[in-house]
Formats: sequence, C-alpha cells, structure tokens
Amino acid sequence: MQRRAVLAALLAALPLTRLRADARSDRAAAFIEEKGQALVAVIDSDAPVAEKRARVAAILREAVDVRGVGQFVLGRHWRTASEAERAEFLRLFEETLVRNLSARFGELKGVTFAVGRAQPRGEEGVMVATTVDRPGQPAVALDWLVAEVDGHPRIVDLVAEGTSLRITQRSEYSSVIQRGGGRLDALLEAMRRQLSQLEARELAAN
Amino acid sequence: MRLHLLRLAALLAAGLAAGCALPPPESEPEARSEYFERNDPLEPLNRVTHTFNEAVDVMLLRPVAEMYRLFIPQPLRTGIGNAIDNLLLPRTAAYQLLQGKPDKAAEAVGRFAVNSTVGILGIFDFASDLGLEPQFEDAGQTLGVWAGTTNGGPYIVLPLLGPSNVRDVAGRAVDFFTDPWGYLGQGDTVEALRVSRVALQTVDTREQLIEPIDALRESSLDYYAAVRSVYHQQRAREILDQTEPRRRRFDWSGQPPR
Repeated sequence: MQRRAVLAALLAALPLTRLRADARSDRAAAFIEEKGQALVAVIDSDAPVAEKRARVAAILREAVDVRGVGQFVLGRHWRTASEAERAEFLRLFEETLVRNLSARFGELKGVTFAVGRAQPRGEEGVMVATTVDRPGQPAVALDWLVAEVDGHPRIVDLVAEGTSLRITQRSEYSSVIQRGGGRLDALLEAMRRQLSQLEARELAAN
Repeated sequence: MRLHLLRLAALLAAGLAAGCALPPPESEPEARSEYFERNDPLEPLNRVTHTFNEAVDVMLLRPVAEMYRLFIPQPLRTGIGNAIDNLLLPRTAAYQLLQGKPDKAAEAVGRFAVNSTVGILGIFDFASDLGLEPQFEDAGQTLGVWAGTTNGGPYIVLPLLGPSNVRDVAGRAVDFFTDPWGYLGQGDTVEALRVSRVALQTVDTREQLIEPIDALRESSLDYYAAVRSVYHQQRAREILDQTEPRRRRFDWSGQPPR
C-alpha cells in the first residue's frame, strides 16, 4: 500500500509523456499476466484435447494481433495477394499458432511463468519480459511485444533469447515463396503440410 | 585444419560467384530490398553446405551432445563449461580494449583473475557473485563495432563450422591467431589438452543448443532460411552488447535432465 503511494508520488513528479508510457507498460504487463494465466489453466486442465484446443484458440484470438502479424510476416507479398489468398493465409497462420501449442499439450503440462520488466519501445509498443519454466528443462526467457491495436493490447511479436519470431518467420516465408517460383500458393501448400504434421503429432501424443 | 577449410570455402565461393543470384532490377524496389535484407548471393552453394552440415550434426554432433548430457553429471558439465569460458576471457578483454570499452575490459580481467584463482582454474564462478558477469567478445564483433554496422556482408555457410558471413569469416581467422593459449607450452600433453579443449567447447555448446535447435528444426518451413535469419539477429545483438549475461548454475539435486 505504502509502496503504491510512493510510486504514485514518483509518477506524478515525472513529465506527462513518461507517465503515459509507464501506464502503458503496466497495462501491457498485466495483459501478458492475464493471458498467460488463462493459457496455463487450459494446458493444465484435464479436458479432452479438442476442447482444450478450442479454448486455446479463443485465448490466442484475443491475445495476438493475428492479422497484423500475418501481414508483417507476408511482407511485400501481402500487397499482391488477392482477398481470398489473404483470408486463406490468415486462417492457416492462426491455425498454425494454435496447433503449435496443442501438439505439445503433454510436454507443456506443469509450465509456469513469471512476468518481469515491461519496457516501452516507442511506436512499436511495450516489450514485456517473461521467464518460462517447464519441469526438468532449463528456463527460457521470452519477451512479448505488446501494441495497442484498435484500442486493445495485442501481442505483435515474440522474442526468444533475442530472436524475433516475426522477423525469422518473414525471412522464412519469403524464402519459401521465392523457391516456389514466386507463388504465394507454394507457401500456402507448405503451411498446409506443416499443419497436417502437427495434427498427426497431436493425435499421437494424446 | 580450420584454416584449410577456410581456404576451401573461399575457393568454392570464388568459383561459384560467377553463377550466383543477382539483385532484382531497380524497377522492383521491394524485391530488391528483400534481396539485400537476405544478403545471401551464394545461396545455392550455401544450401549444399548447409545440408552437409546438417548430416554431420544429426549423425555425429547431436548424438555426442546427447551422450555428454546423459553421462556427465550436470555439476561436472557446469564446471567444465565455466573453465572453458574462463579461458576465453583474456582475449575478450583485449577485444574490448580494441572496441574502446576499457571498463568492460577491466571487468573481464577481474573476472578472469578471480575465477582462475579462487574459482580453481575457472571451474567455479565466484566472480558473478561479485558482480563481474560473464562476457564474450570475438574478432567478428570487434570488426562490426569498427565498421559501425551490424551488417557483416554476404551470408556464408562454412563446412562444419556453420553459419557465418564475410565479416565473421575474417573474424574467425583472427580469433584463431589471437588465442593466447595457442602459443603457450609445447609437447604432446599440451597438444592433447588443446585438442580436448576444442572438442569439449564444441560439445558443450551443442549440448546447450539441443532444445532450441530441435524446436527451430521442427517449427520451421524452411530451416535454412530460419537459421540464416537467427544468425543475423544474434550476431547483431552480440555486436551491440545486448545479450543478457548468462550464468551457469550448479544443480546438485542429481536429477536426470528432462
């Protein structure tokens, strides 16, 4: 309680921009805490896999700016894609996010996380540091870039030990398109193949 | 051996340069910027080398790293890793001086002094308790600082040594000659120690990367492109000194990994 008061006094003494930035950081950190707890609760529950997967999908839809990240990852190919292609890409992209978790429900059981510092990154948003612990595995440092999208906080990037997932994915996807003769279809096919692999894995693991 | 490989790589690179990918025309600015972002004109050759390296890793290096984890108890691995890291500190300090970071160099020297003595040849990391945290610099990072850019030129996959670029290939050559322990002592015992150090360092590094590399291999649509991107990002972070110092912990609980 007293610490809150001191904090409030400190904040009041700072210029207004700083204050707004700090409020934004707190909000982003709370957001990550909330979504993380929700995910952990689903992972640890004993519900059937299909139900757990549906609940994870619902949480991710609320937590991640799927459209924004998808657009970033597709880069220049987004602009040349037709509406139908964009829709199909986003569908596959979201499904991949979900299945990447659902195929690992077993391994992830007992996972815990701690939210650390939240630092403003200018226009980009706020970087929220977390440490993720899985039983019997070394702890992993994961940083979440949270931006305001249409007035809601949304995750726009995941940085694992300094490697940005969206930058890595963009480079990978553009490479798949290039090697497929510049066709977006080559990427969509590769994503479908990956999805069926993840599905098979989910079936085998559960 | 290492130098021989470098020469081979340089030769191959020169030979294939004629047949390498050219930048897209000015009329396609986005394709152009993507080409330069990727920075991989030798991609066809690099992909071949990458496939070879993958085979060596899957058949030899990763299994050895798994055995190392399985048969050497965790505290022993931590001690070995600490001792190996410790040997790299004098060179790190020299590079920090060359990069104009005398404060950091002093810390590295302090860390080396504490851990080599109190820490018994670097096995125990007491320096971290004194606030002298782990650090590492190489010639590639130093060249990056001097050049004032994290862009190291075209990407190059070296046989056995893996991802690199023009800057870091040069850096590796310099590192080879600036390793002080390469000049100390002689005779069969010293030579054996030298070889075991390189072998241990390789296996120790690979052991720490078992999970991250497995995860990347599994989740990527194009593993080659993913590794290239990760390499660019990680080197940039190292040059800008943004890596979090990582302390190796002793775990005496005796629990098996996983």
